[in-house]
Amino acid sequence: MTETATETQPGPPATSDRSRAENRLGWKLVAPAVFVMLLVTAYPMLRALYLSLFQYRLTAPDDREFVGLSNYITVLSDSVWWRDVGVTVLIMVVTVAVELVIGFAFAMVMHRIVFARGVIRTSILIPYGIITVVSAFAWQFAFSLNNGFVNGWLPGVGADYNWFGGTWSSLTAICMSEIWKTTPFMSLLLLAGLSQVSEDMLEAAKVDGATWWQRLFRVILPNMKAAIMVAVLFRALDAFRIFDNIYIMTRGAQNTESVSFLTYRQIIEQFELGMGSALSVLLFLSVLLLAFLIVKLFKVDLASARGEG
Amino acid sequence: MAVRPIRRVAAGIAAAALSMSVLAACGGDSGKPVLTWYINPDPNPPPDFKGTFGQAGIAERCSNDEYTIETQILPQSATEQRIQLLRRLAAEDKAVDLMSLDPVFTAEFADAGYLAKLPQELSDGMLQGAIDGASWDGQLVVAPLWANTQILWYRKSMAEKAGLDMTQPVTWDQIIDAASDQGGKVGVQANKYEGYVVWINALLQGAGGALLSDTEAGADAEVTVDSEAGREAAKVIAKLAKSPAAEADLSVSNEGTVIGPFAKPGGFMVNWTFIYNTVKPDTATFEDLGYARYPETVAGEESKPPIGGINVGVSKFTDDREAALKAVECITSEENQVTYAVETGNMPAREAAYEDAGLREQFPPELLTLWLNSIDTAGPRPPSPYWGTIVGAVLNKWHPASSVGDGTPKQSASFIKNVLSGDALL
Amino acid sequence: MKRMGISHWIGAVAILVWCLLPIAWVVSLSFKPVAETAAGSPRFFPKDPTFDVYKDVLQNDDFLLALRNSFGISIIATVLSVAIATLCAYAIARLDFSGKRLVLTIALAIAMFPVVSLVGPLFDQWRLFGLFDTWPGLIIPYMSFTLPLAIWTLTAFFREIPWEMEQAAQVDGATAWQAFRKVIVPLAAPGVFTAAILTFFFAWNDFVFGISLTSTTAARPVTAQMAFFVGPDQFNPPVSTLAAAAVMVTVPIVVLVLFFQRKIVAGLTAGAVKG
Repeated sequence: MTETATETQPGPPATSDRSRAENRLGWKLVAPAVFVMLLVTAYPMLRALYLSLFQYRLTAPDDREFVGLSNYITVLSDSVWWRDVGVTVLIMVVTVAVELVIGFAFAMVMHRIVFARGVIRTSILIPYGIITVVSAFAWQFAFSLNNGFVNGWLPGVGADYNWFGGTWSSLTAICMSEIWKTTPFMSLLLLAGLSQVSEDMLEAAKVDGATWWQRLFRVILPNMKAAIMVAVLFRALDAFRIFDNIYIMTRGAQNTESVSFLTYRQIIEQFELGMGSALSVLLFLSVLLLAFLIVKLFKVDLASARGEG
Repeated sequence: MAVRPIRRVAAGIAAAALSMSVLAACGGDSGKPVLTWYINPDPNPPPDFKGTFGQAGIAERCSNDEYTIETQILPQSATEQRIQLLRRLAAEDKAVDLMSLDPVFTAEFADAGYLAKLPQELSDGMLQGAIDGASWDGQLVVAPLWANTQILWYRKSMAEKAGLDMTQPVTWDQIIDAASDQGGKVGVQANKYEGYVVWINALLQGAGGALLSDTEAGADAEVTVDSEAGREAAKVIAKLAKSPAAEADLSVSNEGTVIGPFAKPGGFMVNWTFIYNTVKPDTATFEDLGYARYPETVAGEESKPPIGGINVGVSKFTDDREAALKAVECITSEENQVTYAVETGNMPAREAAYEDAGLREQFPPELLTLWLNSIDTAGPRPPSPYWGTIVGAVLNKWHPASSVGDGTPKQSASFIKNVLSGDALL
Repeated sequence: MKRMGISHWIGAVAILVWCLLPIAWVVSLSFKPVAETAAGSPRFFPKDPTFDVYKDVLQNDDFLLALRNSFGISIIATVLSVAIATLCAYAIARLDFSGKRLVLTIALAIAMFPVVSLVGPLFDQWRLFGLFDTWPGLIIPYMSFTLPLAIWTLTAFFREIPWEMEQAAQVDGATAWQAFRKVIVPLAAPGVFTAAILTFFFAWNDFVFGISLTSTTAARPVTAQMAFFVGPDQFNPPVSTLAAAAVMVTVPIVVLVLFFQRKIVAGLTAGAVKG
């Protein structure tokens, strides 16, 4: 089968009319998306970068002074920053790992279920549709001493146990709330990937005598690689920026503060735009680093297409 | 299939746009300036209430031939209110004319130059504590609307059994011991939020000290928490945290969580004035409800009760400054303060208002006198434009209460200094 | 056809319990009278269930306006975002043009920048353009932040569709556009609806933009409006009211999801992927 070469080859790039037309079409299709994305973020991102070089408090604009990289140095040498990074990474790893397993199980169920389809599939997706703030409040209330039911239901936990009184118990409550809320996100993306696995291949494997386990690891998962990567990527990056649950449940007390919350406190609570912008840039760079690592880990190139699967 | 919803949606947008533009054309026609007053939310009116409630009611009554006052609500939490207002004032938004501010924001807003100058006569007749919370750099910058104070609420039966003489001032040590002996609880606010700093500040001031001094210097203010007073305050907190009288959820306790344990098993609690109306429906507890002045930190030294409330400020960027200044006078007048107090239970900031018969019907006169005195001799939180930062820094070292010890004042002093000078990340 | 064994039943029940228990909790909270939560009530079911809280919420005009805003803004943002993302994803997955990896990277970078530091400058920008406190003022940021995920999802999806499909259509004489419309779009439907749900829920759940870029109920969404609910006093969070509002807000969502979930699976057994 003849095919125009898609991968770059050593030598001059093809400049046929066809490929130039394709180039233009490609850019025309992509332009609206890029325009919208940059309209909202270009100026703010550049401004954040610019402000991070200043000591600037919004309510004292005359005291603004250029300090170069001093904000960055303060942040990187402060134990508060590293503690928060540790907490954030911990939450991210735990929630993404758990959600991957549960989400995949849910995706399989949504894919295969034959009875009460609509009900089960809808139930799986509802947690994602509950407004985050309400979900956080509900979970906080569930774990609270005065108004919650968790203490009453869990055997071995006294009625006086204060979940929000210690680091690990607080983190458990926060992770539970986060996992419950965002597993549907994971399972939805995994379902989309699962639905693309060819039935024929599975049948063929079954005929060849492969067990359920082997079918899962040899046929299904490899063919879902792209979907799994997108799911893990976006979920991990979101988890790294966790904010709502911490804001509502503990406000960062008991060493449960995340990097996002730290940034919020600087920018919004104290209007320290200089330091806050530096934190934002650092947060952004960490997230980019994380994304880079994940993409490399999965070795999937989304942009290469055209039958190279 | 996808076309129909799009058509409907497009029609919906067109209708919305049309109606919005019609509404915009309808408003602001008579030429009278419309002052927009950004208010914090008032509690819900009782079901049988007739008329306009709370601050919206004041706005109505103060609107006259010269100007109309309209209210816009801000979010419920004080932090969110501050964020909304600061952001708009920093952008010099002309749509904000009047605003209801928590006293701790006074310094920040004044120092940033967002408040218009007020005539100093507005403070005549106001209680001292309220004036302190409304001034910056020796000037009155906002007008007190109502003032809040904390007192010691207690279960009379438990105090009796413990042998405490509540007609005399009591100290924290006394009530903690009494509650521990009787199996009761002492309710305080010790969550990681500003309410905890209110308590710490009250303890400090009660021992004759302060968190900071010379706050007009802004970031160069002197941090004075590391003092004898600081250590006394830390002692009280540590004692409570380690005693059986501490509530199980001490590290997340706030004004609301302490109400439950106050009913059962009972004990003592420091809380704002709203408790009177909140406990009323619970007749068993209400009959046993006693009240006294805020406890002393050190025996013999008069306590400095916390003070809160709401002040009304005029934006520097308003187009109708004359009208706004007149409006402020009307809003904080004695009649309006009394009406507001009778409606919402939020106490007036003017001394004369406490004589009002309507108010004396709703609340026992001794209670009113107690509140009046508490507000007049209150210990306001240090007015600093960096108050938010200071709160965060204090909380960093003093929360949770169970971790407070003898060295806490010293640690927090150096930490606050570092944060204010930008050497440490908060 | 697999037979439904016991393990499937157990699995189904476990799933339902996991997903719906907290929902039941929220519903239960919405029936607890305000006085009960103020006094403290550590139990699952309310002591004296009441509809009072619902009545209060329904009589709150601001809330109803906010509900209208949320629906309108979320739906418009979703439709526009998915449409644009589809075009973009198709181009990236199918066409060869310089800089397509750059576009993917930009998209990712934009989605990953902390929103909290974008809000301030965006507020200034919008006041300049007159978009503050308007529907487009929220729709555009929502689109910006959901486009990356939509683009990446759809790209991954398109990538899996065999190139032979389009080639076959083109051999049959269809133009690139016709090939796109008649062959690719139906196959991509599951991915499109997935992206649509994700986009809608992002716009629906957002709080930060909702509260920072609006000042009146002209454009304030429901999430931000909830920050204006008053509790029994100024110190207790209005949990029952929030719960009741959340329940009322979730019912239409449930309907929406019930409808969409069938569409997601629509392309599955259509035999499209068979050689």
